[in-house]
Amino acid sequence: MVSDFGYILLFIITAVTFCAVALGGAFMLRPNRPNIEKLSTYESGEAPDGNASVRFNIRFYIIALLFVLFDVELVFLFPWATVFGNKILIEETDGVWGWFALSEMFIFIGILTLGLAYAWVKGYLDWARPVVKNSNYQSKIPASAYEKINQKY
Amino acid sequence: MNSIIALSLFGIANLFLGFLNNRKILLPATLAFVLVALGLNLADWNQEYLWFNNMLRTNNLSVNFASVILVATFLVVAVSRGFGDDEEHTHPAEYYAIMLFSVVGAIMMVTFENLIMLFVGLEILSVSMYILTGTDKRNLRSNEAALKYFLMGAFATGILLFGIALIYGATGSFNIHGIEALVLTAAGGSAPALLYIGIVMVIIGLLFKVSAAPFHFWTPDVYEGAPAIFTAFMSTVVKTAGFAALFRLLGGAFTGVYGTWIYILYFLTMLTLIIGNITAVYQQSFKRMLAYSSISHAGYLMLTATAKVAHTQSSILFYSLAYSVATISAFAVLMVVAETKESNAEKTNENFDIFNGLAKNNPLLAFVLTVSMLSLAGIPLTAGFWGKFFIFSDAFQRGIVVPLVVAVLMSAVGIYYYFKAIISAYFKEGDVPAIELKPIYKITLIVTTLLTIVLGIAPDLVKSIF
Repeated sequence: MVSDFGYILLFIITAVTFCAVALGGAFMLRPNRPNIEKLSTYESGEAPDGNASVRFNIRFYIIALLFVLFDVELVFLFPWATVFGNKILIEETDGVWGWFALSEMFIFIGILTLGLAYAWVKGYLDWARPVVKNSNYQSKIPASAYEKINQKY
Repeated sequence: MNSIIALSLFGIANLFLGFLNNRKILLPATLAFVLVALGLNLADWNQEYLWFNNMLRTNNLSVNFASVILVATFLVVAVSRGFGDDEEHTHPAEYYAIMLFSVVGAIMMVTFENLIMLFVGLEILSVSMYILTGTDKRNLRSNEAALKYFLMGAFATGILLFGIALIYGATGSFNIHGIEALVLTAAGGSAPALLYIGIVMVIIGLLFKVSAAPFHFWTPDVYEGAPAIFTAFMSTVVKTAGFAALFRLLGGAFTGVYGTWIYILYFLTMLTLIIGNITAVYQQSFKRMLAYSSISHAGYLMLTATAKVAHTQSSILFYSLAYSVATISAFAVLMVVAETKESNAEKTNENFDIFNGLAKNNPLLAFVLTVSMLSLAGIPLTAGFWGKFFIFSDAFQRGIVVPLVVAVLMSAVGIYYYFKAIISAYFKEGDVPAIELKPIYKITLIVTTLLTIVLGIAPDLVKSIF
């Protein structure tokens, strides 16, 4: 009999063995003839241009932050799903359990949706645009002078 | 316990009230929210409940602590004046919402039954505080304070969490009553070394949050950099919650092995008292002096939090209440006076000399300042005196003489720097124009001052409840 953590250890061992066997087998069977084309980064058929570590626009930051937030929310759904579908609990309570767990999750997601609505109203979901400032430069030459020159020539 | 749920929902409601384009509504709404939470909190009186799968426990002790926290929050919100009329740079809806969220964390810290809840509560409180410290975005000091606070706080949280993990490793339980039972059986000396290391680490993590020496280095910078209103909030609510958590652990779960931590705590108490009081003497800035004074008050509270006498809890509660009320009125006076002076000068001046000649045109403000300083110094007929008296007599009954002598000596030192403010208000030449106070501000100041005096004359009014 293995404990719960024992199962995790078995999973780790299986994963490592599987990768080792698959990659090691391929390594031993395949011919090895590298060239520049083969070693270059695969970018959907485009020719790779420049380095990957370039400066990203600050605009992506807020979007990335919001994405991470809701990604983390999704992680919470997985442990909930196992309890939600627990057959013994559902049978013992005549199906009330399912509704209870479902409504609890809706409350949780509802609160997070309120957060999204807040960010939306605040305008954090808008793509940050650079504000174009009109130059208030006042030319000393009057506009009529230009018109006269245009008429003359 | 419903107060936790209510406050979370109120916080969200507050965020959305901010869209109404009406800044006037936020202050009364927040005050009403805090009052409702206080009512819900008092509804748990005289009932002992376990909530959320043994995660939280409410009893009279936790109701008392939560009430002190909520009263302090109410007073701080009342003197916040809606954060002014600067539409562009202040966001009152967010500030009030974060304050309400942080109170949720504080209440979790006084009701926790499970160490995980202690951690969650502490983090809710701390993260809110990091944000509130940095709210004055255009002020470099505020930004610096927020970053310092965040970095140091994150370290302290890490140490606390490591301690909790080690305690779990040694006892196999997160539940503080489970830990208490296991610690008692292990008191014979059979406990693994992990337990002792874990206990000391948890204590270090909590002492950091209540700014006890030698973990106090962040306090002066953070208190000085943060906007005064949030400094008042930080030095009252966070401190009360921190000591409640510390007391519940030391007086409950860790009692069995008190030999491991009691001498460390005595030493740190003396160190905190000496560093806090002596350094406060040399401060030019009133706000920085209050920061060191909050360190020294942490020392007094540590003196009594170290052991479980029958009335230790009521001493801590009374002291927290007296200290909170006096600190809030001191900060309230500082805020209005500094703001009036600010219009003339470029830089915000929060030194002692802004109070020069305060009594001439503003007798009420000078009186409020005087009473709060007397209370903090522990002069008789103020609440602060009885707070100190209860703590010293508790310590005397338990026979811890050396820390007690240090505490008495240091409270004499305290009189010097608290009186500096009174002297500048009454005896120094200076011109403070007559300051127009809003009604709610004036009422709050009168209430805090009256509370200090009434508790100083009849401490049993509150002490008998605790």
